[in-house]
Amino acid sequence: MTCSKRDVRGEVISGFAEGIPAGQEDLVDDNTILVQRTLRSGQSIHYDGNVVILGDLNPGSEVVAKGNVIIMGVLRGVVHAGACGDENAVVMAFRLQPTQLRIANHITRPPDDEPEDTGQPEMARIKDGVVTIEAFQTGGERQGKAN
Amino acid sequence: MGEVIVVTSGKGGVGKTTTTANIGAGLASMGCKVALVDADIGLRNLDVVLGLENRIVYDIVDVTSGNCRLRQALIKDKRLEGLHLLPAAQTKDKTAVSPEQMRELCGELKKEFDYIIIDCPAGIEQGFRNAVAGAEKAVVVTTPEVSAVRDADRIIGLLEAAGLYEPKLVINRIRLKMVRQGDMMSIEDIIDILAIDLLGVIPEDELIVITTNRGEAVVLDQNSRSGQAYRNITRRILGEEVPMVNLEEEDGFLKKLRKIIGLK
Repeated sequence: MTCSKRDVRGEVISGFAEGIPAGQEDLVDDNTILVQRTLRSGQSIHYDGNVVILGDLNPGSEVVAKGNVIIMGVLRGVVHAGACGDENAVVMAFRLQPTQLRIANHITRPPDDEPEDTGQPEMARIKDGVVTIEAFQTGGERQGKAN
Repeated sequence: MGEVIVVTSGKGGVGKTTTTANIGAGLASMGCKVALVDADIGLRNLDVVLGLENRIVYDIVDVTSGNCRLRQALIKDKRLEGLHLLPAAQTKDKTAVSPEQMRELCGELKKEFDYIIIDCPAGIEQGFRNAVAGAEKAVVVTTPEVSAVRDADRIIGLLEAAGLYEPKLVINRIRLKMVRQGDMMSIEDIIDILAIDLLGVIPEDELIVITTNRGEAVVLDQNSRSGQAYRNITRRILGEEVPMVNLEEEDGFLKKLRKIIGLK
């Protein structure tokens, strides 16, 4: 995985933080792309920041982000958050049923038995070196980043 | 001006050709002038399914390369007045036609026919690009299998990239008994993933195999459930509001009784 600039080719959508003023490159957290559609099989998004998707991530689709990934829909595809090694990156979805979930250099897949539908938003993040999935709590301390 | 509809699926063997033939026959039986175009160059099937194989003289490649006029290559169906077929070439491959030529061909056909239905080959390569080039609307066929639904999803994405928005979905070969037992994806499961409008659902039916092998169209069979399903799809294409039929299988005594007293 390279996080250098990539060509915009085919269905890969790329957007990189070129407009950030000198000396503020570390504010990469402010660099967020909003995707207002469902990603279908074969479609992918690579982004040098956070990705928010207003739609589903269908099986066979892929999102690779340097920062966090938030899916306002069902996550059924592959997500890689913190693709450049950021272990504080999180993945959140209304329904978390990924084919595979990667955060930084951790790769996980859901258990082989039937996925239980919790019916509420869930968040995946690295906790004590392990990718853990928990119900998303609104309010309170900023999860993940607070540690 | 006619309307160009492409029937596609991504995966092979889900029923594109059968669906193309039956929608075509259905529209023609309702009085429309229909041209079916087989875009599966090198693996042509639509002529066989329609029972017109032995009438082919010129094919689509002859037309696009200027060997013959369009009118010479169009084959009239043997049963239905308004149904015509433009067969694919068998000895060439997909590169023998370009998307521009297909677009031109569809423009030509639109002047003369009410509906032009293109049978798309399986896959997402040049054959697919050719088939969708001239189309204005798309019908995506899938079966209740994970692999077919995955490919349909990919195809919907590619159709959108080609400017064909809001394709309609046909779910083929569904077996309600298996769905009820939880052994097969349900209509809801499929719609949940693909998120497009449903055009119709075809139940699994042995009669499809029988009619296809004979070169007939099941849509013309008034008594079959699959024929009824295709007739409903045809009417929906014509713009009618047709409710989804209850596919619950009714077997045995009750069904016979209803038939006797004249209820469907």
